[in-house]
Amino acid sequence: MVQQKTSGVKTIIKRNGAKVPFDSNKIRNAILKANVHTPGEKMSEDKLDEITLLVVAVYDQAGITPTVEQVQDTVEEKLIEFDLPQTAKAYILYRAEHQKMREMDANLMKIYENLTFRPSADVDLKRENANIDADTAMGTMLKYGSEGAKAFYDEYVIPREIAEAHQNGDIHIHDKDFYALTETCCQINLLKLFHNGFSTGHGYLREPNDIRSYSALACIAIQANQNEMHGGQSIPNFDYCMAPGVAKSYRKLYFKALTQYLQLHENLSHEDAQALVAAIRQDLGSDITLSGSEAYGKELVKYLPVHQQEGGYQTIYAQTVEDAHRYACETAWDETDSATYQAMEALVHNLNTMNSRAGAQVPFSSLNYGTDTSEEARMVIRNLLLATEAGLGDGETPIFPVQIFKVKEGVNYNPGDPNYDLFKLAIRVSAKRLFPNFSFLDAPFNLQYYKPGDYDSEVAYMGCRTRVMGNTYDPSREVTCGRGNLSFTSINLPRLGIEARGDIKKFYELLDDRIDLVIEQLLHRFKIQCSKKVYNYPFLMGQGVWIDSEKLGRDDTVAEVLKHGTLSIGFIGLAETLKVLTGKHHGESAESQKLGLEIIGHMRKRMDDESEKTRLNWSLLATPAEGLSGRFVSIDAKKYGKIPGVTDREYYTNSFHVPVYYPISAYRKIQLEAPYHALTNAGHISYVEMDGDACKNLDAFESVIRCMKEAGIGYGSVNHPVDRDPVCGYNGIIGEVCPRCGRRAGESVSREKLDELRKKYPNVPQYHCDC
Amino acid sequence: MTEMRNHNEEKAIGEGVGFERIRRITGYLVGTTDRWNNAKRAEEHDRVKHTIGRQ
Repeated sequence: MVQQKTSGVKTIIKRNGAKVPFDSNKIRNAILKANVHTPGEKMSEDKLDEITLLVVAVYDQAGITPTVEQVQDTVEEKLIEFDLPQTAKAYILYRAEHQKMREMDANLMKIYENLTFRPSADVDLKRENANIDADTAMGTMLKYGSEGAKAFYDEYVIPREIAEAHQNGDIHIHDKDFYALTETCCQINLLKLFHNGFSTGHGYLREPNDIRSYSALACIAIQANQNEMHGGQSIPNFDYCMAPGVAKSYRKLYFKALTQYLQLHENLSHEDAQALVAAIRQDLGSDITLSGSEAYGKELVKYLPVHQQEGGYQTIYAQTVEDAHRYACETAWDETDSATYQAMEALVHNLNTMNSRAGAQVPFSSLNYGTDTSEEARMVIRNLLLATEAGLGDGETPIFPVQIFKVKEGVNYNPGDPNYDLFKLAIRVSAKRLFPNFSFLDAPFNLQYYKPGDYDSEVAYMGCRTRVMGNTYDPSREVTCGRGNLSFTSINLPRLGIEARGDIKKFYELLDDRIDLVIEQLLHRFKIQCSKKVYNYPFLMGQGVWIDSEKLGRDDTVAEVLKHGTLSIGFIGLAETLKVLTGKHHGESAESQKLGLEIIGHMRKRMDDESEKTRLNWSLLATPAEGLSGRFVSIDAKKYGKIPGVTDREYYTNSFHVPVYYPISAYRKIQLEAPYHALTNAGHISYVEMDGDACKNLDAFESVIRCMKEAGIGYGSVNHPVDRDPVCGYNGIIGEVCPRCGRRAGESVSREKLDELRKKYPNVPQYHCDC
Repeated sequence: MTEMRNHNEEKAIGEGVGFERIRRITGYLVGTTDRWNNAKRAEEHDRVKHTIGRQ
């Protein structure tokens, strides 16, 4: 300790200007800390005290109140005077480090201030993701966490050159706020999860027994998993997963109706009728299905009259049994169908309203379906589509789940295919509600995995577009279920084009360097992900949702099972890249298209080579780029100026898309974009923008979908305007004036007029209060 | 504001209520464009329709 000699220095001025009591021990401790790190200059206690006193003496003599910065300068001087260069260096580094931390704190505090006191309408940062409401308490809290985490990772976790590459816009590490926490997404097999029940971490749920509980538990599973991952959640085989629920409902309802019929027709007590049906189920089994009811009926007609006679019970004629069976089948079918509709309606409502991530958003959910041709699955698909068509409470278009109709020749694509009617219905619904999107299992890169009737061999799409199928780590497990993307990072492609200055060779050199950097980064993140234990993911791993996780114990690491997931490199702005390299984008020139395919082909090859080398699943992603579309270009516009066709808009074009502003026919757009689908094995989507009311032109809509399929597109959808007037409930295209009630945005309509409209249109919302 | 008159009438509904415009971005639908970031708003604004039917 420094002896508290009477010192003239009583106070010191902190960086924020506050005067606080002076404590020379703080100086001594700082010198000690610096000296500890320099073994070559071991300092004695006395020496420490001596230097400290000399520092204090400077201000004693001058008779001034020093600032922290002045004192630190003096310490540096004294250390050099005493010939302690190593200690001085360590001290200077220590100062610089703290300086950096203070700056980080100041930046972060500035961000927090904006998040707290400015509305999202003014702050783009709060609208990074359109599905999160950052104006709410929980949304803001989520943003605090997110921004704080990013600052922490940049300073302490991510290697310097990688963090800088992200900050300066060379690359974009997606979901960086979750860098050291979890993975992107997973394709959940509900069949496996429901078997014998499951636990959400907050309670145990037994195996469901009817379609309503199947659909309710589907939502709960999506919600539970969403809270453990940073991306979306997908059910790759929704029709297959719900079909057993329909079968169970039908069975229950059949025997209920059979009991009712026998009770009434044969004048039995309720107890006797129940006992009779119990005997039937015991002797004939309960295995009646939607498609196998006839066989069961025949057995029943043979059985029941004999059973009555042999047992000495009241006679029941064969004709009565036949009638009872027919009644029970019809009643059970109707009731199962309406229960299924209600279950699907509830599912859509739940997925649009249930909270996730502390209430800041609803789960990002995707449902893939269309290929299960069983009667039960068909009932599910039809009712899900009908519930989607009907919309939410007041007829609003549901935002979730993302729905993906899997198109497959021989299953649902052509007249005569067993689910062709559902394909037609899917088109009708998508023309009204924008969902479902369409995925194409006949695209060669999807077809190569396809085995008829095996949902695990059917490619599914998650959330915005992610796709997982090939498996270099374990080629015997090229399946959809239980797998997903681990993390992905995108490359700023246009910047490479700008920096290459028209030199294609140079462009490829830069691209390869950038790919190397991203590979290093994804491996860095992967290593952190691999250090996690099963207990870090009580649902995803603890309940066996992720592939093979059921073989792990609570304290095991997830390193091995994670290797079934994918590490993906993405890109945006191929169009701008081609523009800067050749003067034309791929919509404008066949040469550019050729170069575009070469570039993306090269990126894919790098991923394949890396997979071969590391035995991990590297794949190439056509990045969705919601938050990213504006980030890269705004940095580049500052750095390189406004380059026409390249940096002169507020966004870079989505992945390999032909620019949205470029006039082109749907057919040509599809032809140009399709070959990129084959290359982007981590996911892709193509859009066609359709004019007018799509509902009134289903043939044109279908022709677009068929064109996509024939061109070898993997995943696509048709965009068309879906507007709604919340006042009168009109759904369709609204220009300046609502075609139903005649108001403009912001104007009011008289209650009399709305009452009048309601007579004609039952979906005009009800208003219960005068406001 | 001319709508003030309507507001004071007893039973008018919808003052200040806009239209919902549902659009697709990055595979997802978004309920209104209010929560879109600036870049996506610009992108949506620039979209042109594609002609359908080539025969």
